[in-house]
Amino acid sequence: MAFAISALIFFASRLSPIDPINALISPDAASDPANLELLREQLGLNDHIVIQYFTWLKEIATGNFGYSIQSGQAISEILALRMPATLELVLSALVLSTILALTIGLFAGANRGGLADKASRILAVIGIAVPDFFIGLAFLNVFAYNLGWLPTGQRISPGQTSFLDRLPHLILPVATLTVAMLAVLIRYTRNSVLDTLNKDFVKTARSKGVPEWKVLFSHVFRNSLGPVMVILAFRLPLLVGGSILVETVFQWPGIGSTVVSAVSASDFPVIMVISMLIALVILVASFLVDIAKSILDPRVRLGGGAS
Amino acid sequence: MRNTTGMIGLLMVSMIILAAIFAVQISGNDPDYIDPINSRLSPGWGHIMGTDQLGRDMFSRVLYGARQSIYIGVLASLIANLIGTMLGAIAGYLGGKFDTIVMRISELVMTFPQLILVLIFVSILGQGVNNVIFVFAVTGWMTTFRLVRGEFFSLREEAFVEADRAFGFSKPRIIFRHLLPNTISPIVVAFTVNIAIYIIAEAGLSFLGLGVPITTPTWGNLLAAAQSPVVVNEYWWLWVFPALAIVVFVLAVNFIGDGLRDVLDPRQRTLAAKKAWKSALLGRWGSKL
Repeated sequence: MAFAISALIFFASRLSPIDPINALISPDAASDPANLELLREQLGLNDHIVIQYFTWLKEIATGNFGYSIQSGQAISEILALRMPATLELVLSALVLSTILALTIGLFAGANRGGLADKASRILAVIGIAVPDFFIGLAFLNVFAYNLGWLPTGQRISPGQTSFLDRLPHLILPVATLTVAMLAVLIRYTRNSVLDTLNKDFVKTARSKGVPEWKVLFSHVFRNSLGPVMVILAFRLPLLVGGSILVETVFQWPGIGSTVVSAVSASDFPVIMVISMLIALVILVASFLVDIAKSILDPRVRLGGGAS
Repeated sequence: MRNTTGMIGLLMVSMIILAAIFAVQISGNDPDYIDPINSRLSPGWGHIMGTDQLGRDMFSRVLYGARQSIYIGVLASLIANLIGTMLGAIAGYLGGKFDTIVMRISELVMTFPQLILVLIFVSILGQGVNNVIFVFAVTGWMTTFRLVRGEFFSLREEAFVEADRAFGFSKPRIIFRHLLPNTISPIVVAFTVNIAIYIIAEAGLSFLGLGVPITTPTWGNLLAAAQSPVVVNEYWWLWVFPALAIVVFVLAVNFIGDGLRDVLDPRQRTLAAKKAWKSALLGRWGSKL
């Protein structure tokens, strides 16, 4: 499948009517066709398209991701520079939103109409109707500009290197991404908990006199994780893709903003490598889901408890 | 008619659409009229949403933006649903290899972060209203596809289809004349909900400056003003009002969607149908739950 994607992306990018050369060369130099021709030759753009594809694939396989047309930097270098920022942001948000969503979703499902249920409804509405970058902008306006509690963007203040300086920079982007990710996850957890509560084994556990909290945590909770895992797996590609909008709002120097600048400059080598990486993560994610399922499967873990 | 949320949604949407149609009459200002002396006015009488850096009236710009944003949302959703329905109907009825291939593609497209996919397409096709609509349709047909496919899977075993086959009706006739009318309600619901999704997507894309060319006011393009920190900090009305317009419209559309779902398909409330939906939406992974 990875090959199919790579071929698709590669040929599509070559069919594009937009010539990346135009973004690369200064207008003065472009007036002389010989200069254009020379550059094309250097970039290997004059070879047959199939040959270009296999050259590219070979280079990728040997770890040479090629060079950005835009800046001339090696793509592996760009990735090494940008990837930690994205991982830091997305991973924190992913972990935080999962913990919050599971907690709120469990209580919302177990106690319908209660406080957690109401909170989950409000969050669901926000998640559906409010664009995530608007949440980010609102956070920026309130907490960074008006209250002045937190920095307005970037990953680190100029001239600083300590972890303590990074932390405040991380709060707003992570909060934004967490809120944006919460809604769907809470809804799924809640519905899944409701489904599980109706199952026979829960009734059995209750009638055996198992304390309610124990029923919730060890019987219901574990059995309702399935759908949640799927949503989480869908989000793993964000780890390499980054959250484009949130990164843009907070000028976060991650993969997301790299994609944006690559797209505006028609920097196809960069776009291709990043989408290949995302495709790979998708493959890994679908594999992980299968593993997680087998771990969480009640028939494996809870023995005779499940129906 | 007794469906309150649906009616509220319908009322809100009709009001916004009417306001967009009669934008000039309502705001009394030309959205492109540049008035440097009155630039960056905060909301007040005369300009109830303030003015932008060039002195253009924000209220009329938001109303004009509604035209483009809603146009993009509706058309993209229409095309995406058309693609999804066609593929879903054929794959669901025929099954087999065609079904497997389209299913794989839809899984792939769904898992790929949507915005990145959209950006890849934009980088290939270039910007523009029609390109944006096309890209949205190409990246967003999967939900409808899965929905329709699921419906067809269960419908094709029904007795009336059996009868159709016994009569020797052609496959296209069975699929489009006999089966499709039975799946129309979930398609209508998906169409409504997708409009909301596309309006938000347009806003995001244009916010990045990679969607509709900046000269056309859309809600997203208006929001793009907030790329500048000064605007975020001091001229809040330049981005809060377009964003509010999006939020209100999207909420209203979702209300309509919910209302339609209740009215058209009461079965959806039952547990079994919910499960069918889940597996329709999540496909291969969903069925393993």
